[in-house]
Amino acid sequence: MSPTMTAAPDKPMLVATDIHRHFEGMRAVDGVSLEVLPGKITGLIGPNGAGKSTFLAVLAGTLPATSGTIVLEGEDISRLPAYQRARRRLVRTFQLPSEFAQLTVLENLLVAAPNNRGDSLFGALMGKRYWVGDEDRLIEEARGLLKRFGMSAKESDYAGTMSGGQKRLIEIMRALMLHPRLLLLDEPMSGVHPKIVEEIQYYLQDLRAGGLTILMVEHELHMVERLCDTVVVMAQGKVIGSGTMSSLRRQQEIVDAYLIG
Amino acid sequence: MNSYYAATLLVYAGVDIIACLALNLQFGVSGIVNFSFIVFQAVGAYTAAVLSMPPDTANGGYQTYVGGFQLPFPIPWIGGALAGGLLAIPVGLVVLRKLRSDYQAISLLVLSVIANSVITNVRPFLNGAAGIAQVPGPFADQVNPLTPSYQLLYVGLTVPCVLLVWLVASRIVNSPFGRSLRAMREHELAATAIGKNPVQLKMTIFIVGGVIGGLSGAILVGFIAVVAPSIWLYPETIILFAAVIVGGRGNNVGAILGALLVPVGFEEATRLIPPTIGEWVPPPNLIPAMQWVAIGLLIIGFLWFRPQGVRPETRRVFEGGPE
Amino acid sequence: MDLYVAALGFGLISVSVIAIAAVGFTMQFGITNMINLAYGEVMMVSGYAAFYVNRAGVNIWVSMIAGALAGAVLSFLLNRFLYAPFQRKGTNLIGMVIVSLAASLMIANVMLAIVGYYSASYVVDQGPLVRSNGLVLTTAQIAIIVVAVILMLAIHLLLRYTRLGKAMRATAANPTLARNCGIPTQRVIDVVWLITGALCGVAGVVAGMNSENFTVSSGAGYLIEIIAAAVLGGAGQPYGAMIGALIIGMLTELSAAAIAPEYKEVVAFGILVLVMVLRPQGLLAKRGALAAAG
Repeated sequence: MSPTMTAAPDKPMLVATDIHRHFEGMRAVDGVSLEVLPGKITGLIGPNGAGKSTFLAVLAGTLPATSGTIVLEGEDISRLPAYQRARRRLVRTFQLPSEFAQLTVLENLLVAAPNNRGDSLFGALMGKRYWVGDEDRLIEEARGLLKRFGMSAKESDYAGTMSGGQKRLIEIMRALMLHPRLLLLDEPMSGVHPKIVEEIQYYLQDLRAGGLTILMVEHELHMVERLCDTVVVMAQGKVIGSGTMSSLRRQQEIVDAYLIG
Repeated sequence: MNSYYAATLLVYAGVDIIACLALNLQFGVSGIVNFSFIVFQAVGAYTAAVLSMPPDTANGGYQTYVGGFQLPFPIPWIGGALAGGLLAIPVGLVVLRKLRSDYQAISLLVLSVIANSVITNVRPFLNGAAGIAQVPGPFADQVNPLTPSYQLLYVGLTVPCVLLVWLVASRIVNSPFGRSLRAMREHELAATAIGKNPVQLKMTIFIVGGVIGGLSGAILVGFIAVVAPSIWLYPETIILFAAVIVGGRGNNVGAILGALLVPVGFEEATRLIPPTIGEWVPPPNLIPAMQWVAIGLLIIGFLWFRPQGVRPETRRVFEGGPE
Repeated sequence: MDLYVAALGFGLISVSVIAIAAVGFTMQFGITNMINLAYGEVMMVSGYAAFYVNRAGVNIWVSMIAGALAGAVLSFLLNRFLYAPFQRKGTNLIGMVIVSLAASLMIANVMLAIVGYYSASYVVDQGPLVRSNGLVLTTAQIAIIVVAVILMLAIHLLLRYTRLGKAMRATAANPTLARNCGIPTQRVIDVVWLITGALCGVAGVVAGMNSENFTVSSGAGYLIEIIAAAVLGGAGQPYGAMIGALIIGMLTELSAAAIAPEYKEVVAFGILVLVMVLRPQGLLAKRGALAAAG
């Protein structure tokens, strides 16, 4: 199972133009524009308080933008609420663990799957036979993912009892059940055991090879260097540079603003 | 055990089970803290009453109320259920859309208090504080309500309703839809991130719960023949919350268990308390007061020692998985 | 228009009663993150405490102190033995709301068992009438307003100028940080409950003075206007609660004159819902609760 790549390699997957997010007098995001190219992993880095996570939340729709536009493969999604962006396969993960604790690992994946006839009041009332076909298909898909990510043995455990790294994997798998076009990862390595960090890095590379587009907020600069094709640097709500890590290292202002290397 | 007692027990149990199943859908499964649940039961009761009563000039005209269409069974019951659902729409639209969960809970609680106050004070609407009495039950003109056969009939009408509600609740909880509700309960933000629309989910289950709650009220009023504000004060919702918490949140068996243990069990247990203990005659308000204290202790005790309830939510295991 | 002038007078007293209560309630939320739904019941218990003292022949104003003490002690115990343990256990906000609701039920019914349905009223020497611009109030009523003003001032001075007040504000803003800075947050919280409990107690007594009588079921009625004022002003903001009390007190009394007295609660509820929907952060929303004067 791999996400389909629908954009031509040079047309951007996502274009954010002049995004502002002002709240209670603070300008957390102060005029950020960027493009995310399809099939690539873009890193978003910067010092604490730069507004990276806020920007991600605005892209995902979790927080409303004060102004600016967001275009996903040609469609303006600026006015859409978060759940509708997710349905358009723009999926985000969270920095803090956000698994559905009292659902099993398998259920965490199943609940994310969009095309289930039983996922409505009508479908539920029609009884099991109405939706068991969809359900069985999705169970198979979910189990495939669990196998790929090495968590098959845990399928019936409560997600809340998993370790930090496992929860992170669950979140990623959950997002994958939506067949995303663009995956927004908010510090995927934070709070994760170094060994699992290696694993996650491997999975992300694997996903990119399958054509998935990823925008990733991350602090771990070695990770960013190894993983990201391009990097955008933010500070104080603005973009202060973008390009490859090596080109950024050469720009003195960036090094000053945010000690790289 | 005489048949009146048995019938009363069964009908009350049926009503409580239906109510607890509804509250469990809203609170246990979906995480909506509906502190106004009793209002929906009341709406069902009042609607069934005004649909089945003769016009208010009847019986000497000592009551004033709207309606009075004297409609036969099952219309009053269906009307009661529908009324519960209809009430859920405006309440849900205001309360469930933008408010955070604690504000939702408080608004619904206050709504419960206010609704009771308004109905009590606006006399011509639903006869104010006195309520509506002499509500005819289903088939009351064909079978004398004072006979054991009528009691049996009533039980015979209640039981299918319980089974129907149980079927509906079961299908919802054990479906992918139920899973989405539970996910929303666990982490609403993450649920939106996977495409769930929390407002739609909440409104849906709020309305469903309202319909079922309304039905429970309609069943009750036909049996006890009276509905008045004093029956549906805001603490009545808390008994149901206690039932759902004690029995076990998020699962239907737990809800049924809770209904049997708390509202039913309590009533029966206090019936066993003798009117005098030796020489001492307890004052008339002591026993009901102590019941409430016990309910409070029950809630606090379970939340402390066993928040998942007597029967916890089942862990779903799917066939064909690893062993 | 005499009706409206009279309503204005009643409004002033209402504002006073609600202000004393709402400030205490909102501080409990601001500093300890607790929506104390048993607040109304504690008011009622304090009212009865003052009642028994008053009935024994003590002047109402001195009895008020008994009420304040009762409120302080009961609130302190409530937090120490019920709320704080649950919070330490990690109970979520909704769980705490349910716990406080259970507590309110228990307190009301224990009182019912002790006192019965018998309604209580105070023996108050109303004192001479004071007239001004068509407004007629008794000296006792004016005294209530004065008490409210004094208490509001006291809270303001406490929060702004005392070390304890600063400690409270720090604990409200960020308890972990406060603790790391050496503030004994546990003791601060205990004191907060004593102080707000005393406010609650005084509020219970003046509320009792302001109505003809009260019973064990009066608690729930008090709570609606208090919550409305607290939410309107901004949850956790004491100055906001004062403003909220002003608005709620005035509006409910004016509407009682314009429509009917039974609908006071409905008006308060309507305002509460409007605020929650249109501006949930309240009037004085600032980042971090209890941002008192800077």
